[in-house]
Amino acid sequence: MSDASLPATSGTRPKPPGRADGPSASPPFLLDFFPLEGPEQTRLAPFYAALGEGRFTTTRCRTDGSLHWPPRVVCPSCHREDLEWVELPREATIYAFSTVLVGAPLGMEADLPFCVGLVDLDGVPLRLFSRIAGPVSPGPSIGDRVRFEPFDLPDGRRFYRFRVVNEPTGVGKAEPPRDPSAHR
Amino acid sequence: MNGRRVALVGGATTKFGIRAASWPELVQEAGAALFAAVPGLDSDRVDSLFVGAAEPERFAFQSHVAPLAAEQMGLKPFRILQRTELACASGQSAIRSAYAAIASGLSDVAVCVGVEKMNLPSMAEANTSMACVMDRPWDGAHGATAPPFFAMVAQRHMREYGTTEEMMAAVSEKNHRFANTNPTAQFHEKTFSREKLLRLPWVAPPLRLGDCSSMTDGAAAVVLVAEELAPEFTDTPVWIRGTGQYSDFHNLAHAGSLTEWTGLRRAAQEALRSARLTIDDVDFAELHDCFTISEIIEYEALGLCPAGQGGSFVLDGQADIGGKLVVNPRGGLLGCGHPLGATGIAQAVEVVQQMTHRVPAARQVPRPGVALVHNLSGSANVHSVMVYSREAAA
Ligand SMILES: [Zn+2]
Repeated sequence: MSDASLPATSGTRPKPPGRADGPSASPPFLLDFFPLEGPEQTRLAPFYAALGEGRFTTTRCRTDGSLHWPPRVVCPSCHREDLEWVELPREATIYAFSTVLVGAPLGMEADLPFCVGLVDLDGVPLRLFSRIAGPVSPGPSIGDRVRFEPFDLPDGRRFYRFRVVNEPTGVGKAEPPRDPSAHR
Repeated sequence: MNGRRVALVGGATTKFGIRAASWPELVQEAGAALFAAVPGLDSDRVDSLFVGAAEPERFAFQSHVAPLAAEQMGLKPFRILQRTELACASGQSAIRSAYAAIASGLSDVAVCVGVEKMNLPSMAEANTSMACVMDRPWDGAHGATAPPFFAMVAQRHMREYGTTEEMMAAVSEKNHRFANTNPTAQFHEKTFSREKLLRLPWVAPPLRLGDCSSMTDGAAAVVLVAEELAPEFTDTPVWIRGTGQYSDFHNLAHAGSLTEWTGLRRAAQEALRSARLTIDDVDFAELHDCFTISEIIEYEALGLCPAGQGGSFVLDGQADIGGKLVVNPRGGLLGCGHPLGATGIAQAVEVVQQMTHRVPAARQVPRPGVALVHNLSGSANVHSVMVYSREAAA
């Protein structure tokens, strides 16, 4: 990866701040869905660092121009490592979705019910799977507009979701507490 | 196909369901059932063992399961001992590997056992394990498990083709009805009318409980032998005629059309090409009905009906006995349950039972000469197909 200018995240998972009941409290590592984000663990640390700056990024191949998702360290088309970090559009349209009512994995039971979906990013040929924040009853519709939304996990790691835009206020499900500094 | 011809000479399954039995105990049961079903099978002659198991590290906190399974079954393999893991297709992978080993001459007598123990004290942990089948840090972390993924598939199929909940319920009703004839099925004693199915609670809309296969405990085993040995085991061998597989993505961003399963089309074409047969030669099929919508799209991908017409196909009885092609006479994953590693092997057991006319009349296919067996795995991103026949290839 050629771009090492992005700031690194804090490395290994810090202990959750005295809170074991939240939706995203850290379970034992082998039951933890969220990735190890630091530069000691992944060459994709710049992706997570960018999330901390509110930016949505991925890699693009400098040789053949292919845009990757998820971000990569080797281009699957030409098998070279000459990649660059690029910004992705933050607006998207729902292509398909469902509402998970039962059967959530460990650590996500408190999120029930929640929406997930495939969203088409504006202007680039990428259709990503994501949690879709916003009201679940009634839920979204195919074609609804959604916006990229980074957030902090209780232990300081960062993740992202999309949120239905123009949702009515006050009817959304309560979100886990966030570090205000995540939304610079 | 090149190489030696390979015969499936017998098999058996344990009871599927929420079982008061551990992973090793299920393997022992499958071994007992296999040796009872194939009286000519001598432990000392089993040179190879293939163990289909999707997530024993998760569900049973046990790795290195191939020698564990061998010991449970009283086997001491001296040629090939290995586990095959391909999530929901782990069982069929064991059979494909044994087939390759025998066809190549590496093995003469191979046992395949498939097993999964999925019902745990904490079902949230079991669900966590199921979500690891997806691309965990990119899709699983958002909450991607099988039900919401296949719910999106159903949503798109409904939107693009007008498929209805009633059509999906018709799949479930048919497969549960067949399961009522199968004592090893998880839902052997439960009846599900379409009306009842349409009143069951939602899991992930538009999928209700009756649209989803279950978390199931169970095991199954078969024995495959080189053609010259087949007469020592049975007068009615079933022949592996061909196989095919296709995978073109893993992360859900690369799923493409959710409703056109080109991977299955390609895997089935390869399986039938290698068998030198066509879909019109197939007399019955065991298709991977992990969800009702899956079976509907599978009719279409196999060319049994035009794209978008799978719902009408099942509603018209075309997948039933007397229809165009009997699909899932065993009871399917919906009726039998879906112990991931065991399913593909239990489907092969049904092929043997059908072709030797040892199933109850209510599910006996009239002329069971050629069978196609399909498993998908994960988010339908891998399709694996086998073709079996009563007659050996010329
Ligand atoms: Zn490239």
